[in-house]
Amino acid sequence: MTRWGMVIDAARCVGCQACTVACKTENQSPLDAWYAPVVEWEEGEFPDATLNYLPVLCNHCEDAPCVTACPSGALTRRDDGIVMADEDVCIGSRACMTACPYGALHFFSERGTVAVEGAPAEAVPSVPERYAHQRHVRGAVSKCTYCAHKIDFGLENGLEVGVHPLATPACVVTCPAECRIFGDLDDPDSNVSQYLADYGGGEVLRPDAKTLPSTQYVGLP
Amino acid sequence: MTAVGPAAGGGAGPQNVFMDQFDLQARTQRVWDINHAIWFTLMGVGGGVFLVGRILNLTEGLGYVLGIPTVDVVSFLAIAVGGAILVADLGRPLQAWRAFVNVRTSWISWGAWSDLIFLVVAGLLVLPALSLGGSEPFSGLGWDPHGGDGGGLALEIVAGVAAVVVMTYAGAVLARPRAIPYWNSSAVPLQFLLSSAAMSVAVVMLIEVIAGEPVTAGQMVLLAVLTAALLVATVAHLLTRTTEPGKRESLERLLRGQYRGLFVGFVVAAGTALPLVLAVVGAAASGARDALAVLCFLLLVPGGFWLRLLTLRVGIFPPVHIPGVGGPRSVAIPAGG
Repeated sequence: MTRWGMVIDAARCVGCQACTVACKTENQSPLDAWYAPVVEWEEGEFPDATLNYLPVLCNHCEDAPCVTACPSGALTRRDDGIVMADEDVCIGSRACMTACPYGALHFFSERGTVAVEGAPAEAVPSVPERYAHQRHVRGAVSKCTYCAHKIDFGLENGLEVGVHPLATPACVVTCPAECRIFGDLDDPDSNVSQYLADYGGGEVLRPDAKTLPSTQYVGLP
Repeated sequence: MTAVGPAAGGGAGPQNVFMDQFDLQARTQRVWDINHAIWFTLMGVGGGVFLVGRILNLTEGLGYVLGIPTVDVVSFLAIAVGGAILVADLGRPLQAWRAFVNVRTSWISWGAWSDLIFLVVAGLLVLPALSLGGSEPFSGLGWDPHGGDGGGLALEIVAGVAAVVVMTYAGAVLARPRAIPYWNSSAVPLQFLLSSAAMSVAVVMLIEVIAGEPVTAGQMVLLAVLTAALLVATVAHLLTRTTEPGKRESLERLLRGQYRGLFVGFVVAAGTALPLVLAVVGAAASGARDALAVLCFLLLVPGGFWLRLLTLRVGIFPPVHIPGVGGPRSVAIPAGG
């Protein structure tokens, strides 16, 4: 069974936010929603201060609390481990947002705008199917999907997921430091498994939440 | 000295040029606030008033509205208004029916069903008593609206069970996920349940006073027991897991920070401890019982509302990562592939 996952080597991140912007461009997320920000924080005091970076995104948890909390069934976990949000089904209760320890769910509020240029305020049915992932519904919740549309496109067209740019999440493709690796966590020969093996396993964020994330880290400060 | 800078929660606010999503700091949830506190309060009172009225056998004698006992009308109104507020607060209110879908795991779905079942079954229960323009169009229905026969009792039991879920589920919605440590405790639904029950007894006592019926010593004892249990649950919640990231910040705000006066002074002291004292006095002093009952109502209901609102407002997510602490090594990926 395939379980898509991402390994982020935090030690490699240079904080350029290219992934943040690539994600926004790829998914046309609502104005105030950032699916893949790079968190940053200072440590120490001048002249021994350092600035640390930590790329974050949806952890696509095996035991996803957002899916559990969602009353409408808008949030589901695919067989390949990707947690999807169906904005047409979402009722906007925002229970998922209080349940997610990672802040990975984003409410398309009145303040937000539809990112598709010239689109009306409501859902945009005229957007071609290829860009359906860029159609966002006001009053609903949206999130990172590991660029599931690209993965599906790659699988349908025989491209290697996690390697070919058209079959790999936008944040991974764009990272200049190659700090993100995407692949099948259930395949011991995959790039992610091999990378984790080199480090003796990965770490997860908010381990106390016991969500079994598919997004794992090495080189955390 | 190594210190995590203001961006990590030192109070200087977001330092990033974008927004606080980019800062490694404890974040306060802002998606649920006053509308949810009102909803939680009304659901608690709505379910509770029905239960208290039925358990204490107070449906008759406290007045009627269109032939329906006043306590039941108050209950229905509270739940209907609470439900309407919730629906209005949804991002997509016209899709509200979908809240019934995920009963397998979602407490909100359980709540939606329990609200609906309660309103339908309790509504059916009192329907034979409905009086419109001097006639009782549904009096031919074959059950006693006060639960005095088999059919009425069966409806009363189903409505009563639904009422208990209505009183409880809001706390369960908060307590189930581990994301917010202050919420992730069985003490939260327990507090909400006990607060709902205490508020409901106070509301029923107020209805008694308005109807000119005597408030009994037994009711005062019941109120004293409920408020004492609420006090214990609240204090116990404040004393456990006090150093856990996220909960530590929540406690800081409640006990020493911006909400200290409201929480300690109003919710705990005036909204819980004082009604406990008044109820104990009322149980012993029959002469002052009506006045004490009204006072208890005036303290408990606002106290219950603020308990819920402050619980929401101190819902704090700890940082996703605490530098230098880290998480456990993954067991999902075996070392060496």
